[in-house]
Amino acid sequence: MSIPKTPSWQRRDAGLTARIILSFSILALLYIGFLSALAYVGLDFVSITVIAAIMILAQWYFSDKIVLWSSGAKKVTREQFPELHDIIERVVARNNLPKPKIAVINTNMPNAFATGKGPRSSVVVVTTGLMDLLDTEELEGVLSHELTHIRNRDVLILTLASLFSTVAWYLMQFGFYGGMGYGYGYRDRNNNGAGAMIIVLVVAMLTWVISFLIIRAISRYREFAADRGSAQMTGKPVKLANALMKISGNMRQIPTKDLRQVEGLNAFFIVPAISGSTIGNLFSTHPPIEKRIQKLMEMEASMG
Amino acid sequence: MSFFRKLRKSTNNNKPRTDSDAIFSLSSAYITLETKLGLKSTGRSALSLKSAEGMHFTEMKEGIQRFLDISKPDIELKNRMVVDSYGYLWLVLEGKSMADILAGISAIGDTVEERGFSRQLLVAIFEFKIEKHSNEVTQYLIYNYKFNKFYPFVPFGQKTRSTEDEMKIMAAIVDEVPFEKDMTLWYPLWDLPI
Repeated sequence: MSIPKTPSWQRRDAGLTARIILSFSILALLYIGFLSALAYVGLDFVSITVIAAIMILAQWYFSDKIVLWSSGAKKVTREQFPELHDIIERVVARNNLPKPKIAVINTNMPNAFATGKGPRSSVVVVTTGLMDLLDTEELEGVLSHELTHIRNRDVLILTLASLFSTVAWYLMQFGFYGGMGYGYGYRDRNNNGAGAMIIVLVVAMLTWVISFLIIRAISRYREFAADRGSAQMTGKPVKLANALMKISGNMRQIPTKDLRQVEGLNAFFIVPAISGSTIGNLFSTHPPIEKRIQKLMEMEASMG
Repeated sequence: MSFFRKLRKSTNNNKPRTDSDAIFSLSSAYITLETKLGLKSTGRSALSLKSAEGMHFTEMKEGIQRFLDISKPDIELKNRMVVDSYGYLWLVLEGKSMADILAGISAIGDTVEERGFSRQLLVAIFEFKIEKHSNEVTQYLIYNYKFNKFYPFVPFGQKTRSTEDEMKIMAAIVDEVPFEKDMTLWYPLWDLPI
């Protein structure tokens, strides 16, 4: 008899912590380089940065309200959606988490997301389309995925990560528009106006592009982390995999046409199109569904 | 893990080269299906090939029948031949042990190939059963001779299938047998004549 091994996905997520530290170090370096460049130019950037930072913090502080308001989600009571409350209560009780508020969007599009400042003030939002499409266990898988986002404080992390890119974005705007009118008179007093402005622009642009890519990488990794968290909470990765198939419409890709019919039509040897270019992957915030399903099924297999 | 599986692994790098090799990889995978998922073989399986006119095809059918009759003392298999509405010939085998079934299916497959009808070969299917809420659910493993790979098929209601059960089968044995990972090629076989 061999000693049962703990599958890797059940262990503590050291990779996640390492990646976040790395990403933030790179972002911080970028930020410092960016600030030095600005200091070198001698621009009065303080006001812009302060305003940008305040806006971002405000955005984070009011994130739940902004998201609820902009998506048209309504908070729902236990009387209105008893099953939804039941599922979430089961999951949070088993995993010792605070119960989030629950909101529903009335639309046929199947979707779910989580928002909020911290675990105690978070909201889990689901659409009515999602509830119609999934059965109880699949819904539990998706809700556990969102609860993992809350537990991992993903909203805060992504807000902080986008702080740098947003500041860079504001400065780029300032360089393009503000720099032409008001900026000229200001800079004539320093002799190296135009050249320095170009340096600021280039650095701002570089900062923005690189942080944009890093944010997307963090975001994709956190999706995998949330899938893994959901698998740990429910113990049924296959249910989340099935839910993802249904939500993405991949269910329709599994053929229903009989093999003997297909054989007759000779449609059998069509080479499948090359899927997913790497550039596309760089820019997307969510990893491809196939990858996520594959990882979930690896977890399912390791559970035996 | 059996000695033979280890041997095959080392010589073939776990990638069976022939259809027989692929089919014999089930000899350990069916145990995995039982221990991991509770799927039990019903002992029923079948090989399907496109029927053809002519003397050679008839001779081949007779050859298969002769082989099955001769081997009766060694491998205990009930057998029958059916032609379905698509014009496919089904050689249905029923046996008590998986070893007998796999030996029968692969021997028939070899005979078909030897007689030059390998292009006619469609699939070999293996039937499993599982107890679910005191109901018996039938699930299939299909071996596709064109792609030389296995894939799952779990019919569920009227021309719909249980993707979840199919994905579970894939997760359980994907590393043990040559498995079709592209779900868009998991073509169903409705109204099986077995």
